[in-house]
Amino acid sequence: MGIPAGFRWLSQKYPKIVSPVMEGQPMVMEDGSVIPVDATQPNPNGEEFDNLYLDMNGIVHPCSHPEDRPAPKDEEEMMVEIFKYTERVVNMVRPRKLLMIAVDGVAPRAKMNQQRSRRFRAAQEAKEKEIDKQELLTMLKKQNGSGLKQQPVEEVVKRAFDSNSITPGTPFMDILAASLRYWCAYKLNTDPAWAKMKVIISDATVPGEGEHKIMEFIRSQRNSQEHDPNTRHVIYGLDADLIMLGLATHEPHFRVLREDVFFQDSKARMCRICGQKGHEERNCKGEAKKKDGEFDEKDKAHPLKPFIWLHVSILREYLNVELDVPGLPFKFDLERAIDDWVFLCFFVGNDFLPHLPALEIRENGIDTLTAIWKDNLPHMGGYVTKDGHVDLERAQYILAGLGKQEDAIFKRRKETEDRREAGFKRRKLQQDARDARQAENQRGGRGGGAKRNNRPLESDGPPPGLQLHPINNFPSMLKQSVITHDMVVNRSTVEQANVANKSAASVLKEKIQSMMAQTAIGAAPVEVNPEASAESTAEPTSPASALGKRKASLIEEDVPSPVVGSDVEIVSATDDDGPVDSVRLWEEGYADRYYQQKFHVDPKDIEFRHKVARAYVEGLAWVLRYYFQGCASWDWYYPYHYAPFAADFVDLGKMTINFEHGRISKPFEQLMSVLPAASRHSIPEVFHPLMMDEDSTILDFYPEDFEIDLNGKKMVWQGVALLPFIDMPRLLAAMDTKAHLLSPEDQARNAMGKDVLLISDAHRGLYDEITSHFYSKKQAVTKFKLNPKTSDGLSGVVEKIDDYIPHGSLIYPLERNALPDVDYDRSLRIHYEFPSYEHEHKSMLLRGLKMPKAALDRSDVEILKGKSQKSGRSYGGVPLNGRNGYH
Amino acid sequence: MTATFPIHPVNRFARDSEPVKRPKEFACFSYDANHQFHLGDASLKWYYPPPLGTDLSNGFETFDKHDDSLDEHLDSLLETIASHEKETAKSIDAHFVTWRGMLTKIMAAPFEDRDGFEMNATLYRVRNPSPSFIEENHPYKEASRRAQDAQPWKGPIPQEVMQFWGYKFETLSTLPAPWGETSRDFIESRDSHIVNNKEQYCSVVRTGLGKSVICLGGEVDAIWDCKPMIPGSPINWVELKTSADIRSDRDMDNFERKLMKFWIQSFLLGVPKIIVGFRSRDGILVKIDEIETQNIPAIVKRRGRVRWDGNTCINFASDFLEWLRQTITDEGVWRIRRKPNSPHIEVFQVEEV
Ligand SMILES: [Mg+2]
Repeated sequence: MGIPAGFRWLSQKYPKIVSPVMEGQPMVMEDGSVIPVDATQPNPNGEEFDNLYLDMNGIVHPCSHPEDRPAPKDEEEMMVEIFKYTERVVNMVRPRKLLMIAVDGVAPRAKMNQQRSRRFRAAQEAKEKEIDKQELLTMLKKQNGSGLKQQPVEEVVKRAFDSNSITPGTPFMDILAASLRYWCAYKLNTDPAWAKMKVIISDATVPGEGEHKIMEFIRSQRNSQEHDPNTRHVIYGLDADLIMLGLATHEPHFRVLREDVFFQDSKARMCRICGQKGHEERNCKGEAKKKDGEFDEKDKAHPLKPFIWLHVSILREYLNVELDVPGLPFKFDLERAIDDWVFLCFFVGNDFLPHLPALEIRENGIDTLTAIWKDNLPHMGGYVTKDGHVDLERAQYILAGLGKQEDAIFKRRKETEDRREAGFKRRKLQQDARDARQAENQRGGRGGGAKRNNRPLESDGPPPGLQLHPINNFPSMLKQSVITHDMVVNRSTVEQANVANKSAASVLKEKIQSMMAQTAIGAAPVEVNPEASAESTAEPTSPASALGKRKASLIEEDVPSPVVGSDVEIVSATDDDGPVDSVRLWEEGYADRYYQQKFHVDPKDIEFRHKVARAYVEGLAWVLRYYFQGCASWDWYYPYHYAPFAADFVDLGKMTINFEHGRISKPFEQLMSVLPAASRHSIPEVFHPLMMDEDSTILDFYPEDFEIDLNGKKMVWQGVALLPFIDMPRLLAAMDTKAHLLSPEDQARNAMGKDVLLISDAHRGLYDEITSHFYSKKQAVTKFKLNPKTSDGLSGVVEKIDDYIPHGSLIYPLERNALPDVDYDRSLRIHYEFPSYEHEHKSMLLRGLKMPKAALDRSDVEILKGKSQKSGRSYGGVPLNGRNGYH
Repeated sequence: MTATFPIHPVNRFARDSEPVKRPKEFACFSYDANHQFHLGDASLKWYYPPPLGTDLSNGFETFDKHDDSLDEHLDSLLETIASHEKETAKSIDAHFVTWRGMLTKIMAAPFEDRDGFEMNATLYRVRNPSPSFIEENHPYKEASRRAQDAQPWKGPIPQEVMQFWGYKFETLSTLPAPWGETSRDFIESRDSHIVNNKEQYCSVVRTGLGKSVICLGGEVDAIWDCKPMIPGSPINWVELKTSADIRSDRDMDNFERKLMKFWIQSFLLGVPKIIVGFRSRDGILVKIDEIETQNIPAIVKRRGRVRWDGNTCINFASDFLEWLRQTITDEGVWRIRRKPNSPHIEVFQVEEV
């Protein structure tokens, strides 16, 4: 999501929006045969669903680095994983009408900047991880002596799948598209539950982010006259943001489906060295894996990670209470209020803008904004947003309201941090004292001490299971003699997909450092108090032999470097108190320091701040439009690395915002914009010199090393990657010099594609309608409008695929035939276009909607009412422009 | 010579329903905002729910009201049929051509003793079968209206205002284009739109009751989604009605009595859904209900308080129309008359060719 930890915040505040998914399981018979789930049976969740939308990147990413088993060996294995996972999700939902599979296509420029940052960080992290791995293995060899066999060790080192190739335009995405088409056709041929299902595949050749292509589809259907407002939608994806998109559809029968990321099953864990279960890394002997059957089927027997529903309809109920403003001079409209609330959530975080310094999800930034909104709504004369457009004059009320609280927020933040810090120190002193006593006891021959226990960090950090430690608050849990692979490289992999902008590379480095220090000391196992292990601050330790040389450079990178060319004080290296924050938001003059250090601008240049704020507002408007109407501009982006302060927003009412549609990037342009040189294997070779050669005119776009500015945060993954922005004209000019060298296959991969609709011939009416238009003797048309009466509600235009002939055979597109060919293909494939509509989509309920049954009871409502009166007012959230009797 | 068709006892019609042919629209016409006739669906409206809490009296002062004191006869219906016949080069083969309102009066006759009616049926034997054209006897209608207006009105709200509520509800609940093609501003400003009952969309259908084939014209208020791509398929029409908020069993009885007319009207044109806007006594819209036309007779039966029966209505009309065909044998104009509280319908020739 745009807001890291946003899902967690939502589900804590509005607990009833989450419920477990009931899932049918395949049955394994005594003879070992498996009876698959019969999805034609009623849905075990007690309710049927019509449409399932898969934000496919949320399946592809986890399949490329599963948490509970070794990563797939190659692309084919990965595809089989994807099939399996997709099948599980489809069987959970059992959509009766439509399945839409949307893979990310080229993204708007505003998104590319974030992708660039993520991919550069990922590459840097991968590089470091690889080095660390190597070093660890060397150490392991020394430690385990001859017990560790050579070969499996080398296998581990094998180059892992580069998740950066999950970007439009790569050969991998081609394989993915072909595989998905095959698999869906195969299912249409073989699974009776698919007989009446229409399948839309929007692969990476179709521009737009997956979830936004899905949104556009839903809007297009809603704007069609024959759309059933009681259609039951489910969207699967990893982004908690999907619940915001769900709200934005104004279809109340909407659920988000996702893995329960908080669920931890230790038994399913496997050894990270050999990829086998049954032992921990520290006991790994590196033995070759015994296969359980030809495809390791037995391996599947581990309990599957459960899924959960997020009910948009219940969130709507909560918001109806939360956003209620009594005594409004105009009519309360929940749909409009919801849109405003979604807009407010963007302030706290989104994928396109850095969040405002004053707003932190953990500090209940959304509550703060909601209180400001509620206090001002009666005076603003209406809602802040309308169908995806911002009323800038009213937005000014909100930002001014936040601006008045900004100083207090920063001060309070510092106080809270100081208190926590003091707590750490106090506990550490106590611990040291205990340790001393314990050592005394041990000398006296008595063993014991507290039991070891790796407790996760306190709850205001990332979700449990994410073992991310503040750089300077490392647990001293590594006081053990045996180094395990896990200690060095084990990090939950799903978290990568769940936590935006996280770079744990430095965390890892720190781990190694502190660990190596321990090994160097060579102490016998020391029992550690659990409290201390989880929370105390580890002493920075001097590097041990193996990593000694790297340490200096590591430390440099962990610390915010001084801004080049500015005359600010040089930031000192890490010390006991953590990285020094030279902006010091809690001290007067912070804005001057901020603009000077982050933007290199004279503190007296106030107009510059307003300019940044205007660009930011433009960004907010762009994001809102993106969620509610689609991409207003493909090349707009926020041209700074940092956000302004709320106080810098002035006179917004005088602004006018217009977006130019802009140019939609071609896949290779996006690849060149977002990938670092290390991932160039995903880019046609002809472009490699542009990323590598000294004389490339755009070499500066591909820095080998770049700074990560912690920007007052404690975690590297929260920091800002200071990458240069791509100068599009320069990039395009450079690429132009090489374009003629592209092979025809590459050129094909660079082209824009179309959505595909697949159906089975069991969908009789629709099948006949299509074949009679396209494949009868007349063959008069190549394109026609679907009749929603025969298509069971689907509106749109279908077009014949030129080189496609129905009734052929279905060929498995990969090498090893993990799934069979089908001699007579009963499915049908055509191009599909969303129905076009001239008017903008309106945030309104449709006629004929039957509201889902209320899920909140009276006491839920009362409790929430009580809370919402107080919430968000800790910094003096009083009405600002109150003219009507507020004091 | 006067022929009479006895209405009572009505239980002789309470058998299984005679076959009813699903009404199929084969043509349509529109009156524009000035009540000018146009072939086609220009005045078609789409249903979109109105905002609750609206005062249905809003805009009464600017009501652009159609003057229905003029006898419009069957002109528009005939023009539409003529155009259709020309287009298809085929004549419609109906036994009766009439407005939906006439057939409603006939179908309701078994359970509506208080109100009388007078119609004129005209027969020209030009082809076989030659239809009878049935229209309201306009002078009778005008006379009974005058009689009613002469009665002192005791209600707190003027009668004209209460009549306006129904039209206001239509204006509040419809759009001139589908929702997706209508601006939010238009939708949200419906309360301030001038109410105009001159504008109408009329559907012309072919239907059948028992052995009689009927060509019916009638106004439909709105459409739910859109006309089907395949002509002749059922259309999701919407009938809009207002009714007093139900607060007691007696209110419910009254409402269920009203439901009979609602049902007959919608049944005859094949309107599957009736949207009822319930209003407070002083005309504030308080609630919206969607009722499936086909369920209405069963709903009323289940409660069992109000006695009307859909099959009786159908069979009565079916038998009456068959009898009428045998009665109207000569060319010319015939009067169909039911006097208030009369147990029978009289038919006699008033004019010869
Ligand atoms: Mg996505």
